[in-house]
Amino acid sequence: MGKRELVSAEETVKEYTILAACGALLSVGLDLILKTQLIRTKAFWIFWAVMAVLTTIINGYLTGRPIVMYGEEFFLNIRFITIPLEDYLFGFSLLTSNIVLWEYFKKREKSSD
Amino acid sequence: MKIEYFLVLAIAIAGPLFFSFSPELRFYQSPRRLLLAIGFPFPVFILWDVIATARGHWSFNPEYVTGLMLYNLPLEEVLFFIVVPFAALFTWESVNWFLRRKP
Repeated sequence: MGKRELVSAEETVKEYTILAACGALLSVGLDLILKTQLIRTKAFWIFWAVMAVLTTIINGYLTGRPIVMYGEEFFLNIRFITIPLEDYLFGFSLLTSNIVLWEYFKKREKSSD
Repeated sequence: MKIEYFLVLAIAIAGPLFFSFSPELRFYQSPRRLLLAIGFPFPVFILWDVIATARGHWSFNPEYVTGLMLYNLPLEEVLFFIVVPFAALFTWESVNWFLRRKP
């Protein structure tokens, strides 16, 4: 019985890890599809250097308190201080989508002037 | 403290909100674009969050949320997907402003 439980725990799919990796790739895909090409700009990487610090502060508090708690079987358990690696990919997916769309609509506003 | 998650969000948005009325940056002049850039990813990430919370990928400590719920998510968690993108878009515009300004 004990052994069976151990096996099933090991076989649990790291769902958060997979979703976070897919999300990050999709947000970069959006940047290519919408032809905003932000990942090729210096501004994008400076933005991410700044955001890495800011999200570490905010998310550090959320995960350190902890306000948000994680299901151990669903992620790799690799943490920066208290922050799961996957959280950085989650944040990357969200905020890259935001700035890609922001630049996409900016471009459209300009072309319709 | 039950309002702790809420306070984290308030602190995160305070600076960007204040400086979005800076005449240099003119961040306040694009409310429509702001709505679109935040509004399109919003339902996708809410759906992700609803499923992840239901599956047990993560959970919210009842000690630090007000208890106001929207389906299985605390109100604060829903606001996260408005507050954090707003602060990030402000940061993005600020970074670009600094780069333009550089001789």
